[in-house]
Amino acid sequence: MTQPILALRGVNKSFGAVQVLHDVDFTVRAGEVTALVGDNGAGKSTLVKCVAGIHPVDRGEIFFDGEPVHITSPTDAAKLGIEVVYQDLALADNLDIVQNMFLGRERGNPWMLDEAEMEQAARRTLASLSVRTVTSVRMPVSALSGGQRQTVAIAKAVLWDSKVIMLDEPTAALGVAQTRQVLDLVRRLAEQGLGVVLISHNMADVFEVSDRIATLYLGRMVADVATKDVTHSQVVELITAGRSGELGLARPEAVTI
Amino acid sequence: MSRAWGANGVPALSSGARPDEVRRHNRAALLRRLHVAGPCTRATLAAELGLNRSTIKAVVDGLAESGVVTEAVPVQRSGAGRPSLMVIPDPEAAAVLAVDIRVEQVAMALVGIGGQILGRHSWNLHRATRTPGEVITHIAESAQLLVEEVAVPARGVGVSVPGVVRRADGWVHEAPNLGWRDVALGERLGAVLKLPVQVANDAELGALAEHVRGNARELTDIVYISAERGVGGGVISGGAPLRGTRGYVGELGHIPVRPDGRPCYCGSRGCWETEVGEAALCRALGLPESSARGVIVAELRSLAANPMPGPLDEYVEWLIAGLVGVVNMMAPEMVVLGDLFTALPGPVVDHVRRQVHERSLVSRAIGGTRIEISPLGRDAKLVGAAELAFEPVLGAV
Repeated sequence: MTQPILALRGVNKSFGAVQVLHDVDFTVRAGEVTALVGDNGAGKSTLVKCVAGIHPVDRGEIFFDGEPVHITSPTDAAKLGIEVVYQDLALADNLDIVQNMFLGRERGNPWMLDEAEMEQAARRTLASLSVRTVTSVRMPVSALSGGQRQTVAIAKAVLWDSKVIMLDEPTAALGVAQTRQVLDLVRRLAEQGLGVVLISHNMADVFEVSDRIATLYLGRMVADVATKDVTHSQVVELITAGRSGELGLARPEAVTI
Repeated sequence: MSRAWGANGVPALSSGARPDEVRRHNRAALLRRLHVAGPCTRATLAAELGLNRSTIKAVVDGLAESGVVTEAVPVQRSGAGRPSLMVIPDPEAAAVLAVDIRVEQVAMALVGIGGQILGRHSWNLHRATRTPGEVITHIAESAQLLVEEVAVPARGVGVSVPGVVRRADGWVHEAPNLGWRDVALGERLGAVLKLPVQVANDAELGALAEHVRGNARELTDIVYISAERGVGGGVISGGAPLRGTRGYVGELGHIPVRPDGRPCYCGSRGCWETEVGEAALCRALGLPESSARGVIVAELRSLAANPMPGPLDEYVEWLIAGLVGVVNMMAPEMVVLGDLFTALPGPVVDHVRRQVHERSLVSRAIGGTRIEISPLGRDAKLVGAAELAFEPVLGAV
């Protein structure tokens, strides 16, 4: 069995006097959807931003495909094949789907872009994800629904041949039906062998799509369990109290004084 | 050669009838041609359906009036004279719900004319949510969401189930990998969705999908074999599905191939399924047997550079043994490998191709049975379920 595609070991991160991440271990396997859950302020987004190269880690190691790596900028992360999709649908409204998917990485030479080639690649990618809900790849993004925008953002990650896709609350701004469409896409990404990290507050979503659930509690990784081994209420306990039965932090009475 | 199946699985026959019946028949035939092969000119329709241009005009005008097709001047002109108009079906003119019940998840889609997927949902099944009641409830809820989202009503439902199904009323006798037994699936779904529901075996629908939209479009004798948790096969013989007594289909996955093999839940031992199913592939790769699909795909991809000889050798032997048996028994023009098999590395598939050709006298006799990977991948059964649901719908639009 191969090693995890992405592994964090003992990662610490402070903002001034506030320590946000305490010795966090986190593993992402290719082909699995790993849900990252936790209360507000538990450190989920900080963890993702550390991997994405937005915040450098203070202490700890990051391994990509078994090799130790230093990620100091978003470019480093993109080079490794780590792509992040943010909840606020980070696309440029005034550009069309193709322009958005190639934003900053256009093909062709500086005085003449290869529009036809880019359009074909965009169409191929959307087709490989069986996304047929978008009628034309030349539609401006402002004309798309929230679900379609999120689809384009995810397709962008696939187009760049990413190995790990981290989705920070991809469905927070979406309605029920669109949420289902995006979750369906998330599952199919994993089935193609990508490592997927899904941050979500919605337990129904988490249970519907994830293979593993990693729980952060006040900056500590308290549990990393297979979804089929736990129940809704156990995960909620882990999120709110940091422990549930045998899972999570040790009970105070078990700690010897 | 018509690629359509009549309601009972026999090709629709044309025979002399009253004028309105003829009109209805022509209308359905024309719509089916557009549904299966996409937009084309009136002239092409006239040539392919063997009808004269005025008949085509009448039928197309009728369809255009009810908003099912639109007409446009073709962009590329060929030859001199007035160009023949392109007839383009509107995908949203009629839609059906396709449901693919798999062991680990359920996938659903609302599919329009021409096979366009208008919207899709899926959800994972766990031990607690795999019961028929839970699945039916979730399907009903998702159906409503999909129809509301896309704003196109569904006219029929097609369901794919990995098990033994009675086609007439959608009764699931046994779906061992789901743990289902004697479920009136068709009746119960029909009651909650208030739509005509058709249920069929998953491999049979995979074969239908390959026949209509996949690799085997121009062929009349094909076998579709797919591996998920279980292994199933669907056969199309002489352009129609091959069925047995009272419409039941055979289970190619339970052909015994290995006398000293593991016991199978079906009561036999060393079935093809226990040697080439998902669990067998996990064992070959050294993964836990309950690994997620993506993990298996990622593992296979990491082998891709130089897979043979390697951990898959024995697994591939059993795959070849079974395929030789199937080819010798059915003499198909093509065997399509679907679902999990589509993730097998290219060199492995090449090896399988060569070996089957060498070891099968039937393959040699018919000039080489082609062995191809399904282009529809994981969606084959979903596409097949949509085509199943479309059969009666196209005649009524």
